[in-house]
Amino acid sequence: MTDGTIEKMKGAFSTDLVYRSEDVPLTCIPHPEELEDTLHGLMKLNGLIIRSLEEVAGRGANAVTYRAGRKYGHEVAKYFEKIENIEEALKELSDILRGQFTFEIWKPADKTSYIIQENGSTFIYLVFHDCIVRQTLRRNGQAQGGPLCQTLYGYVVGAIEEITGKKAKLEIVHTGPNACLKKLIIQ
Amino acid sequence: MISRRYGSVIEIRVDDNACNGCGLCVKDCPMHVYELRESLSVPIHPENCMGCLSCHEICPAQALEHKGIYPSRRHYIDIRVCEMLNRVI
Repeated sequence: MTDGTIEKMKGAFSTDLVYRSEDVPLTCIPHPEELEDTLHGLMKLNGLIIRSLEEVAGRGANAVTYRAGRKYGHEVAKYFEKIENIEEALKELSDILRGQFTFEIWKPADKTSYIIQENGSTFIYLVFHDCIVRQTLRRNGQAQGGPLCQTLYGYVVGAIEEITGKKAKLEIVHTGPNACLKKLIIQ
Repeated sequence: MISRRYGSVIEIRVDDNACNGCGLCVKDCPMHVYELRESLSVPIHPENCMGCLSCHEICPAQALEHKGIYPSRRHYIDIRVCEMLNRVI
């Protein structure tokens, strides 16, 4: 690499801007529309971290990612109003998750209520539409339902536990390219 | 063949000429929306479709069409590949 090339590269990072303490940006710079490259870089990196974690830790990878997601869910939801009603809590959860995940409460046509009781357990079906986990996995050509999905389960369970104060469990029913069906088991 | 989902606008269309009756959509759908009848896939319970579009991905004949599905955000196409494809197209 010649000196000229190095100087040219350095030139891209030199500006005449004067930064004072009060100038610390409070908005996202550059505009989010210009961050597509950054987003793709993050998705790639996340995918590789998860792949490596699976290689090293095997099935233990699920426990690690689930725990991380659960902590994140508790962390995010602790500032929200505490509600005991599970349907209201899910509405609040959808506000918390907005921008990263969107989901709807769903039921098969033959069920009369969204809260389903079967074989002694009570659960609610959730259909996840927009999902950063699915986007990341498909961006990297990785299978759905693995450790990265466990992050989302942990996230939802952590947030629900924080909002309602009740123990919950999330089970994967089906993963698809456009939506995933999950079962929120209320304990 | 079109089946209308009651109470909403979702329609599932199976192209009779394209469908080869492999039954992959029948096996893959968790909500048992499809059934094989006379070696053709028929959406018998379209009201149970949650729009995962797994059937689209698995169908080798690309014989399926869903109308009224919420399309989830897709950032997972490699932007470099997109740029290259756009240049070619």
